[in-house]
Amino acid sequence: MKKEDNILEKYSGRRPFTTPEGYFENLTANIMAVLPQEESGQESTVKVTMWMRIKPYVYIAAAFAGIFFCVRLALGTTSKDDNMQIAQTEEMTIYTDEYIDSFLETTMIDDYTIYYSLVDINN
Amino acid sequence: MAAKMAYDEKKILEMLREDSISKRRAFEAIVNNFSEQLYWQIRHMVLSHDDANDILQNTFIKAWLNIDSFMGYSKISTWLYRIAVNETLTFLNRQQRTISIDIESDETDIKNTLESDPYFDGDETEIMLQKAIAALPDKQRLVFNMKYFNEMTYEEISEALGTSVGALKASYHIAVKKIKSFFDNSD
Repeated sequence: MKKEDNILEKYSGRRPFTTPEGYFENLTANIMAVLPQEESGQESTVKVTMWMRIKPYVYIAAAFAGIFFCVRLALGTTSKDDNMQIAQTEEMTIYTDEYIDSFLETTMIDDYTIYYSLVDINN
Repeated sequence: MAAKMAYDEKKILEMLREDSISKRRAFEAIVNNFSEQLYWQIRHMVLSHDDANDILQNTFIKAWLNIDSFMGYSKISTWLYRIAVNETLTFLNRQQRTISIDIESDETDIKNTLESDPYFDGDETEIMLQKAIAALPDKQRLVFNMKYFNEMTYEEISEALGTSVGALKASYHIAVKKIKSFFDNSD
């Protein structure tokens, strides 16, 4: 391990690399030459139109309108279903047990006819 | 790193908010101040001068294109180091994808690249050292190069990489241990 310690100590801070002659003298100029020329001016000359300004708000409004429409549609369907269910419940509650008993007695209907009419109604 | 700076960062930041001519002049001062240290940082990672030069140019182009989004919350050096590190790691990842991932062949590649590079003047031991460094994970390699070759303090590296001093010390010591064991095993 001692040898390895010495190697790291010996070469610490020493760069084994070189560069072409005059590289760092011209480096700033070379880098500046490859930068896009008009980049900084470009931003200030870009004309911001009214549409560009309001575009995000229009998109947000459209999104909200879409969400509202979907929610409205979903709620509308649900309330229709509820109404139908309520109507059916109301219909069913009209026929009380007493009513059915008296109906069976007076009309002389047998069990088979009741069963048949129930199956027929469901179909 | 900071001692070398002969420019006023506050003034540079003010100029960056002014008209396009002032902005370009301010950016030129930034390039002038940081290009050399960034070059060495990149060069130690990619080894070849041409690659280092390309990555350095890309770093400054990216910085220039995003200069308006630099709000001055961190130092310019920190910002530039991060761009340079990202550019370098992207380059290395791309290179690793195209070249064989066989470690043996990687080591031979490094040896051949360095021996044939007219801008490398190291001896056999330094080639071995570069091979040992190249075998380190990216983060450890970065930290090792910054500390060992660029002689930056942990505080400076911490500022540049946004990593805690404790984590950097750990990374450096692990890297040193791995390099020593690389030499040990190669005997």
